[in-house]
Amino acid sequence: MKKGELLDPRQTFGEALLEAGKRHDNIVAISTDSSQGSGLTPFRENFPERHIEFGIMEQGAIGFASGLATTGKIPFIAAIAPFVTARPFEMFRNDLGYMRQNVKVVGRCAGLTYSDLGATHQSLDDIAIIRTIPGVTVVCPGDPKEIVGATLAIAEHEGPVYMKIGSPKMPVLFNEDYEFELDRGVLMQDGSDVTIIGTGTVLSKAAEAVDILEKQGIHARLINIHTIKPLDKEIIVRAAKETGKIVTVEEHYLKGGLGSSVAELLALEHPAPMRMIGVDDQFASNGPYEELLGLYGLQSDQIAETVTAFLGK
Amino acid sequence: MYTLSKTEKDALEMQARNVRKNVLRMIKAGRSGHVGGALSTADILTALYFNIMRVDPKNPKWRERDRLVLSAGHKCLALYGVLAEKGFFEKEILDTYGSLKSRLPGHPDMHKLPGVETNTGALGHGLSIAGGMAMGLRMDGLDSKVYVIMGDGELAEGSNWEAAAAASHHGLDNLLVFVDRNTLQISGPTVQVMSYEPLDKRWEAFGWNVTEINGHDMAQIVETARSIPFEEGKPSVIIANTIKSKGISFAEGKVNFHYWKATLEEIAQAEKDLEKVGE
Repeated sequence: MKKGELLDPRQTFGEALLEAGKRHDNIVAISTDSSQGSGLTPFRENFPERHIEFGIMEQGAIGFASGLATTGKIPFIAAIAPFVTARPFEMFRNDLGYMRQNVKVVGRCAGLTYSDLGATHQSLDDIAIIRTIPGVTVVCPGDPKEIVGATLAIAEHEGPVYMKIGSPKMPVLFNEDYEFELDRGVLMQDGSDVTIIGTGTVLSKAAEAVDILEKQGIHARLINIHTIKPLDKEIIVRAAKETGKIVTVEEHYLKGGLGSSVAELLALEHPAPMRMIGVDDQFASNGPYEELLGLYGLQSDQIAETVTAFLGK
Repeated sequence: MYTLSKTEKDALEMQARNVRKNVLRMIKAGRSGHVGGALSTADILTALYFNIMRVDPKNPKWRERDRLVLSAGHKCLALYGVLAEKGFFEKEILDTYGSLKSRLPGHPDMHKLPGVETNTGALGHGLSIAGGMAMGLRMDGLDSKVYVIMGDGELAEGSNWEAAAAASHHGLDNLLVFVDRNTLQISGPTVQVMSYEPLDKRWEAFGWNVTEINGHDMAQIVETARSIPFEEGKPSVIIANTIKSKGISFAEGKVNFHYWKATLEEIAQAEKDLEKVGE
């Protein structure tokens, strides 16, 4: 995996799950139709007896996964994001959260990445709703290396997890020696004028925005929050203290996502002026993915513009 | 086929009476509770824990145990009553029902009490969890079985039928459902609130093998449940015809005793009634 290389997130997840499956013989993969689309083909071909198909039955699949986990299995359910979060929310809350079962739910094609299919298939509320469930870890890997690292890490982690991945190819942002550590934010670039906190599919846009700002003489700090819950409080509070202003960037609703998580923390620990970039309280439109990101201010030049306006420059 | 002896039958009926007394003991402590469904299912739960299921109260997490999923979680007073009677925990805990942070919430919590396998209460969740258990046990090569208690009102939840389809698709013949058909739900006769007949045909259509019994007849409960799978490769379901609030004279078959806010006079009468049961 070379820095700058563009890789398919679902395929990357699928290869990582195969590796996790080799390390843990109690991992089972669950699909609700379209196992290939969820990246499960390598796992299914190598461990056919450990792949369980449920058809288009997300509520049922989560309950079955909970039951499987009570017998010591580690179920990974991979499916289209809104159908394993918003649709079966109560099953997620009770059967996985309340029962504290060791199940990993992977929402794929999340955010706006089902750009042309419209709001039923987009998932802009998944972080907001799932992070209300006590004890559930919420992870949004920001590049292919993080998808691999996160998949292996959540397999080791004991407890329910929601991991959100996209669909379009995404650039490798990290060097070969990068080691993913669950629950820990990552300082990707130091800076003192402002902090940009990014997550998941649009972390690369935030990184590009930092480069644009640097050329304008603005030294922005870039923090990658790949684990939204539990939140790495220390790295965020330190950024608020040291850079004063905070901008969050996410492919999610402004309500309830990364920006909200950061604001909730800073309101109590170290209030700081903020700007939040994401989709504001509307069912998102449809169209080509990159154009859709532009519609909601999530392209790198737009992020840079929001930051300069925020700094009054 | 297993035949229940007279001695075993008498013993089970005595245990069931004690379970009902435990239910009343909790109602007395908390002064209210879901009594109707607890008492309609008390005989089935007693038969399960005292005759049918392989469990060890001293080792509640025993890997090879059978599992009970109380999908209709509001019937938990009967589950607590039977677990206490079986020795999973001290009976004094029953007197904490209704108190702050009691280990006996109004719907069961597996992390609070040994012997409780799932956190149910939101209806329509139990069968899929039980199906996952049955699947996991089979993958491990264990012959353990999974038993589920469902209410008949609960069957209106569509998620049950997702689970029913998946259990038959995957051939889970180590799974047995009891439908506690007490024919009443909180707002009236179940089939008037949301019809489910023909119930046996519905289950059959989903690929299950169905039997109907009297859910208060110990011999029928034990002998039927011990003969699963009714058909190899298929999950089994017993439609158990029961009487809501069975054992309390003034509440039997009454819709307004789904959830009982008990007066001291009513409790005294109920205690007398339960002395008579089994005599």
